[in-house]
Order: sequence, then structure tokens, then C-alpha cells
Amino acid sequence: MSARAGIGMLRAVCAVLIGAVLFTSAGAAEVKHTPVTDAMLLNAGKDGNNWLMAGRDYSGTRFSPLKQIDTRNVGKLVPVWTFSFGVLDAQNTTPLVVDGVMYVTSSHGRIFAVDARNGTMLWQYNHPLPDEVGKFMCCDLGNRGAAVYKDKVFYATPDSHVIALDRATGKVVWDVTIADWTKAYTMTVAPLIVKGKVVVGMSGAEYPTRLWIEALDTETGKQAWRTYTIPGPGEFGFDTWGNTDPEAWKFGGGSAWITGSYDPQLDILYWSVGNPNPDWDGMNRKGDNLYTNSTLALNPDNGDIKFYFQYTPWDVWDYDGNNETILADINGKKVWLHGDRNGFLYKIDRTNGKFIWGKEISKVNWATGFTAEGRPIVNPDKVTNYEKKVTNVCPASEGGKWWNPMSYNPQLQMVFVPSREICVDLLAGPSERVEGKYNLGIAEADWHKGHGQLVAFDAVTGEKKWTVKAPSPFTSGVLTTAGGLTFAGTPEGLFNAYDSKTGKELWSYQTGSGIVGSPVSFMIDGRQYVAIPSGWGGWTGWATWGGRGGAPHLKDNRKGGYLTVFALFQ
Amino acid sequence: MRNVLLALCAVWLLTGGAGEVPGGPGGTAPADNPLAGDPKAIQDGEVLYKRVSCHGCHGGNARGGNGPDLTDDEWQRAPSDQMIFNTIKFGRKGTMMSPFKDDLTDDQIWALVSYLRYLGEQRKAEGK
Repeated sequence: MSARAGIGMLRAVCAVLIGAVLFTSAGAAEVKHTPVTDAMLLNAGKDGNNWLMAGRDYSGTRFSPLKQIDTRNVGKLVPVWTFSFGVLDAQNTTPLVVDGVMYVTSSHGRIFAVDARNGTMLWQYNHPLPDEVGKFMCCDLGNRGAAVYKDKVFYATPDSHVIALDRATGKVVWDVTIADWTKAYTMTVAPLIVKGKVVVGMSGAEYPTRLWIEALDTETGKQAWRTYTIPGPGEFGFDTWGNTDPEAWKFGGGSAWITGSYDPQLDILYWSVGNPNPDWDGMNRKGDNLYTNSTLALNPDNGDIKFYFQYTPWDVWDYDGNNETILADINGKKVWLHGDRNGFLYKIDRTNGKFIWGKEISKVNWATGFTAEGRPIVNPDKVTNYEKKVTNVCPASEGGKWWNPMSYNPQLQMVFVPSREICVDLLAGPSERVEGKYNLGIAEADWHKGHGQLVAFDAVTGEKKWTVKAPSPFTSGVLTTAGGLTFAGTPEGLFNAYDSKTGKELWSYQTGSGIVGSPVSFMIDGRQYVAIPSGWGGWTGWATWGGRGGAPHLKDNRKGGYLTVFALFQ
Repeated sequence: MRNVLLALCAVWLLTGGAGEVPGGPGGTAPADNPLAGDPKAIQDGEVLYKRVSCHGCHGGNARGGNGPDLTDDEWQRAPSDQMIFNTIKFGRKGTMMSPFKDDLTDDQIWALVSYLRYLGEQRKAEGK
């Protein structure tokens, strides 16, 4: 052996030894699996160390009280570990963190437990998906996150399983199927734990379906209640589906795939409902089509509907109103804030569902204003039918604000909305109703080239405080922190930090793929971290439809599937 | 030698060696579309394209949506008729592209291939 070869071998041996030591150190570090109690969930808003549910707390604020990373030092934020999901497509997730352990879902039905200090995987569970399930999902094989309670972690899969896993081992505790995916009843929702039940909502309103919100027992998976989002015969609202098609209600969609919020004082669960089916063809469902495009106030014990507020009655624009509700107490008033795809930001009294105000997030011309009750005054020039093509309808189906969750900073009383300015031409068309097949009701749709924006509002008055423009829509969820920061991501893969007061960009990092998931922040051993999933996918038709679209530069946008975690350089 | 290996790898990849699709289970599809250029097949393909919801992902004119643009030069040049056939029939495991073997007969799949080729030619003629 030559001297050079000997040195080379020595180096290799050293590298292996060092690697082994590092690996052993990481592996040997104590990993706790602290049981998640009701008290922890009820106080999640004050707990900066953990991120215990998709919206961070029962109010869904996505506001972290941590302030180690702030407007002065955010420039020193560096990646400290990355984690590959091993799959591509839409990474829509919001990771959870419990005492140093991260639970993160990915596309294609996977979930991982990861040591959140260093990215070491503790276990993974890959739910076996049927090969055919993709064709029963409009918008990719994504998943929006998990829920944790006691010793279990819960998540939903595209083929409509709800699964409870042992948090320490990743072993399946129970696995129940709640719907028939072959008829396009599918799931992407991040569950919510409320009073010992795991609450989920269905996807599938681009197909002829009748969808629902459901609560399961966390110990057994047994159904506790199910509330259909479309009333059946004899129920209030059944008569809002017109009289030309007696089965319109039975296949009227009404998805519920965005996680709700919960007010423990009022004991009300707020859960929003999406678009009617067919999406753009309202000819055979003339009426308000309850409870589509509404937020329901539910009794969490039995699923009974206490009251509701409807954002877009008789939707013929696919303004899929199932976006989140953020619960805020503003100047002594209990309200919810809701950014809708119909272009408006709403403030609603959450004790009774009464309208307080609606403000334009983006340009709106399908409605000219509101009645005193908050019903939109529809502009007839923007209502399509089989013979009438309408042009330059603003906003297009994705808003306004798309599904990506906004954030509320209670210290500043400001809400930060990921948004876009894209309009569309529409011509409704009849489509055949076949279970398991798309039923969109559209003959022509042409999205106009537009741009993205991140908009900050004063939550007291609804006044716009600042707007950051970008070449593409902001497609991530938003995180705000007590350090005065607002984090948001773009289809180009940029993860940016802004000064919450001014909108000034303070930091940016290229994550490698488009961001359609949501950032979180947590603290371990006195060090604050920020994590962001990236991986382009989901419904991207708005961007490149027909070779044109709202953001044609995103054609063939790079896919990915990973998580990047940041902390201050030290 | 390295170049030969690389070339062999490239051939293997291009013929689908890295995926689960080409040939699919059984791998019996003929190499060329027996209905290539057949106006009736193109017409049938157009109807099927909507009926089995291809448009939901690939757009109303196959120029892209959630799924890739199936008419641009890049896409049209790469796969053989057989590869397109197999992709439709058996899907691409681990992606949104599902198998349509239970929805379509072989002749219907070839009709879809004809329609996609027609759209590609149309686009080329438009010079876009």
C-alpha cells in the first residue's frame, strides 16, 4: 500500500468513526414522548416550545409567542437540518412538535416522527395507497398534517382512512375507513382533537358527492358523530337546492378539508364548508345551496349545527369557502376572521354568526358590496351560464385568499393573508354526473396572468396596512411570531421573513422546490427553530392552464419533498 | 467504457427501465399505434379524454394543468406511442397518474394516444 493510499484509507476510517460517534450521539440523546393532555391543547397558544395542532392553537392563529428570532437578528437564520420525505408532489403539511419530537405528514400517505433537534428519523409509517386513488382526487395526493393526543398521533389518508399511531413506536393502534374513495370521497385534512374526539372533514367536491364533518373516538376510532354539510330532506336548508334537479343536494359537494377552530369558553367548534358541485354550473341547483361556502358553528359533543354564516350563496365561480376561521378577541368582541376565495376578508361575531365587516383582499368585481347581513350583492355581469361567457371575473377561483392558512398576531391585532391578483374568463357547461368522475360544469376557463401578494390588515378596522407584491401568488401558510416577524413562502421555493409592522423583507432562503405547506416555530433546549415543508404540487391549474394561466412561468415547476429547519447561527 | 455504460443507462431510462410503466404487467402493447392518424380514433380520443377526466389534470386541450402539458415539444418528442399507451393503461406508480386499465379498452387507449399526437401536431402547426 502506498503512503497516499494509506492516508486515504485512514481518512475513510476516521470519517466512519466520526460518523458513528455523531450518529450514536444523536441516537442516544433522550427522546421524550410526553403525553398530550387536554390542558396542553387548551393552553397551546401560550406554549412557545411546542406546536400542538395544525393551527398552533384552538384559535388557529399560527402565531408563535417565541421571540429569540426577531427583526434584528433574523438575517442570521441558517438551515440546521433538512429531512427528505422520499416522495414528490404536494407537501401541504403543517408539522407538529411535542417536546422535541416532530410529527410530520407528507404526500402519498406518509407520516414521520423526527428528532426535532437534529432531523434524525425516529420512525415512519407509509400507508399503502391503492394505485388508482389519484384519479379520484382533484388536487394531488397531499396531506395537511396530523393531530396529537395522549400517546397517539392521528392522520387521514387519501383513501379515507383515519389512522391512530403510537407516538413512541409508529405502530398502528387503529385504522378505520370512513368513506368510499372509489366514489371520490377522499381526505387531505389535518384532524383536530376536541374533547377527546378526533374531528376530520372530507374532500371531493369536484365530483358528485355529499360530504361531511365527522368526529371519532380517539381511543377506538369509533364514530361519535357525523354532520353532513348539505342538509337532507326535512332538514333546515334542504330547500336551498332548487327544484329542477331532485338529486342536486345528494351530489352537491360541500367539502370540509380545512381544519376547524374551537372556542372552549363558548364550547363551539367552527368548521368551514367548500364549494357546491358542479363547481361552475349553477343551472340545476338554483338557491343558496346551504351549507356550501359557509362556516358552521357546531356543538362538539354531537355535531349539531348551532348557527352558520354563508360567504357565497349559489356559487358559480368555485369560491370554495372552506378556508380556516381564526378566533380572535378584539376590543372585547369575540370574532372570527376568515379570508375567502371570493376575495373578501370577513370579521364575524362568533357568538352568533352575525356579519361585522367584509374587506377586499384582492380586486373583487363579482360582487358590488354587501347587504347589512353580509350577503354579497352579486354583479349579474359576472354570472356565467351555458350561453353566457363572462370575462375578467375577479378574483378567480383561488381568490383573494386560496386555502393556504393566514396568521393573526394578537399583539399587533393584525392579520396576514397570503394572496394573489388573478382574474378569469368563464363559460359554464353541462357535465355528466357520474360518481367517481369529475363534474366541474365548465366549458371554458381562462385564467389571466396576474401576480402574488402578501397583505397585512388591521383586524380592528379591516384597513390594509401593507402589501408585498411578488411574481407568483404566496402559496404557503403564514407564520407570525412575537419577534415581530411574518414568514411566508412562494411557488419558486423562496421562504421569506418580513417585518410584521412594515412588510419589509428581512431574510430569504431558497428551499429548492415550491412551497405549498405551512411554516411552524418551536423551541428546544432554549433554541428557537423555524421549519418549512417544501414540495410543489396540488391544484396548479390556475398557474398554467391551457398553456397560459395566471402564472405561466410556473410551467414544469420543480417538484420536491422535504423539510428545512432553521435556527440562528451559533 | 464509462461513456458506453452511460449510454446504456440512458437507453434503459428512456425505454422506461427506471419506472414501472413500460411494458407494464404483461408488456404486450405493440410498439406503434395501430390507430395512428385515424380521424375516427382522434375523434373518439377527444371524447374519451373528457369522459375519463384526463382534462381534470392535463387541461381541456392537454396543454397542462395539474399534470404536465402533453402537447409541447419536450413531452411529445420523448415517449414512444407504446410508452404513452402503457402510462395510460398502467399508470405511473407513486404519482397522480393512475392506471386506466379498468376504464378503457386497448383500442380506446390507442384512440387517446392518437388524439394526443394530433394535439401535438396541431400545436406544432401553430408554432407555439
